[in-house]
Amino acid sequence: MIRLLRKAWAFLERDLRAETSYRLSFLLQIGGMLFSVLAFYFMTKMIDPDTPGLDGIPPFQWMLIGLSFQFYFSTALYSFSQKIRNEQMLGTLEAMLVSPTPTAMVIFSSASWDFVYGGLRVGLYLLFAVLLFGVEIHTSSLPTVALGVLLTLLSSAGLGILSASFILYFKRGDPINLLLSSLTTFFGSVFFPVENLPESVRFISDYLPITWSLRVVRGALLKGESFATLQYDLLQLGILTAILLPAGIFFSRFAIRRAKREGTLVHY
Amino acid sequence: MSYAVEGLGIEKSFVRKRSLGQLLRDPFGRAERVHALRGVDLQVGDGEIFGLLGPNGAGKTTLLKILSCLVLPDKGQARILGVDTADEDRVKPQLGLVTTDERSFYWRLSGRENMRFFSILYDVPSDRRMARIDELLERVGLTEAADQRFSDYSAGMKQRLSIARSLLHDPPVLLMDEPTRSLDPAASLELRAFVKDELKARDRKTIILATHNLPEAEALCDRLAILIKGKIRQEGSVDAVRAFGLETHGYELEVDRWPGDFSGPAQVHKTESIPDGTLVQLSLTDGAELGDLLSALMHAGVAVRRCDRHESDLEEAFTRILDAEEPDDSAKPGGSGRQTGGAV
Ligand SMILES: Nc1ncnc2c1ncn2[C@@H]1O[C@H](COP(=O)(O)OP(=O)(O)OP(=O)(O)O)[C@@H](O)[C@H]1O
Ligand SMILES: [Mg+2]
Repeated sequence: MIRLLRKAWAFLERDLRAETSYRLSFLLQIGGMLFSVLAFYFMTKMIDPDTPGLDGIPPFQWMLIGLSFQFYFSTALYSFSQKIRNEQMLGTLEAMLVSPTPTAMVIFSSASWDFVYGGLRVGLYLLFAVLLFGVEIHTSSLPTVALGVLLTLLSSAGLGILSASFILYFKRGDPINLLLSSLTTFFGSVFFPVENLPESVRFISDYLPITWSLRVVRGALLKGESFATLQYDLLQLGILTAILLPAGIFFSRFAIRRAKREGTLVHY
Repeated sequence: MSYAVEGLGIEKSFVRKRSLGQLLRDPFGRAERVHALRGVDLQVGDGEIFGLLGPNGAGKTTLLKILSCLVLPDKGQARILGVDTADEDRVKPQLGLVTTDERSFYWRLSGRENMRFFSILYDVPSDRRMARIDELLERVGLTEAADQRFSDYSAGMKQRLSIARSLLHDPPVLLMDEPTRSLDPAASLELRAFVKDELKARDRKTIILATHNLPEAEALCDRLAILIKGKIRQEGSVDAVRAFGLETHGYELEVDRWPGDFSGPAQVHKTESIPDGTLVQLSLTDGAELGDLLSALMHAGVAVRRCDRHESDLEEAFTRILDAEEPDDSAKPGGSGRQTGGAV
């Protein structure tokens, strides 16, 4: 575990050093985020606060959490496959894979910067919300939020590794990615509560980790709901994580083996 | 005896990628397979520099990738220090791979930052990491340039960093894929000296060197194998390979009064008129001695002015091996191709 963290840290440090030369674009991105928060503030003023599914959370706050976590999920979804593909084409993947570090660990660690950066953005969105719009955050339930975020991280990593395995296996653009990110955005109660959709398709949202992680984070952070109130949602998120993460790791082994047999692992 | 590196009947074929045109013409056709390796047997002893020679597409890189666990063989087995390469976790710590691919580093990072990243992947213990990196950078002469960006390195510096990286975990076996390909002659010579004096003499590494540079193989290797179309066609010491296809005892003579129809215990390969005489290349027939030849020549009234053993260079041997007919597929794989002295 320590070794895993150290390796993940090495990847993080590497990307951080490479990114520091993009300081300007980093600042521009922060500016862009600020604008989108502003836009959301005014847009959500048009939303009826009594819309079913908002559970009494003001629309702006409800949407802000949705937006930032959906960003996080899609980062997680794309970053493994993108990083691996990139390194494959750059030629650095081979150099990593001849090292004694197991291939699965290389894949797992490769996205660590994207995860941290995604987390930073979530934090920034919240910071804007608190500082500029006086959104009130319930610090008492932070441990519950932390647990929710951890499970969010692991379940989205599971999805991301699954989609990276898909790319390694089939060596082509990834329909899974597209499908999952559309499903996540549409059925995950990101921009509107799933309660507004016809009954017959609502069940889809139960199988998406984002649904549960948004319920936990919104409930705990914005309404100060306790662990006891949220334990059902946490359990659901935990079950999905316990399926997705091992499945991701299992299929990545499978995909790597096939790529090694076909000679496509480092030869794109 | 156990070998440092061993290959047992390694076979590998790849699916050839089909172009869009082919896909349109024959959408359901079976993909063609390229046979990159067709039964390769290989034994490399401890501390040896073993050359892997062959023309483009012979399968050298494929073989090295199989040895370094990046590609799985279809058939056969590869062993590093007695361990099957299927057991990656035990094999990889014993291996270093040096390629010419200069893209295998992060261009935006400095040489030292690159080394630091890879040192973690290579499990260099953290308390020894910095010292190890400094020591290696020093050995390959990159101390001064350590903090420059990799993108600013010359081809020679990139190659040296690649060697330094492969030594991070001090592996007993090094696999080098055309390490001098993009180097100028001076840098090549320097690298050769480094391989010979440092890696072999000092560190006693076992090295497999894939190359199509014959002088390099000649200068460095203890033994070599010639790989053509996925088969080892000739294997042995540099001298043995050099002698391929030549009579075991080839001589070059400068003579006076050469009779057109000399019949002695020799086979004449070539005669050439030179000022006041003839240059003759011949080889002794089986069992004959040089003395027999000389007395036969005296009988025939030939005056011998000069007589030298004829040394073939590797390049000639390589050409002969390439020209030689491919041995029958049913022949033992990895056999040494044609026997020398086959001419009758
Ligand atoms: N991943 C792959 N997919 C399909 N074909 C491949 C793959 N790798 C190698 N080949 C084919 O296998 C054959 C052997 O290639 P290899 O790279 O091993 O040759 P080489 O001896 O290293 O040649 P060179 O001197 O050009 O480097 C070639 O025909 C090559 O096109
Ligand atoms: Mg090659």
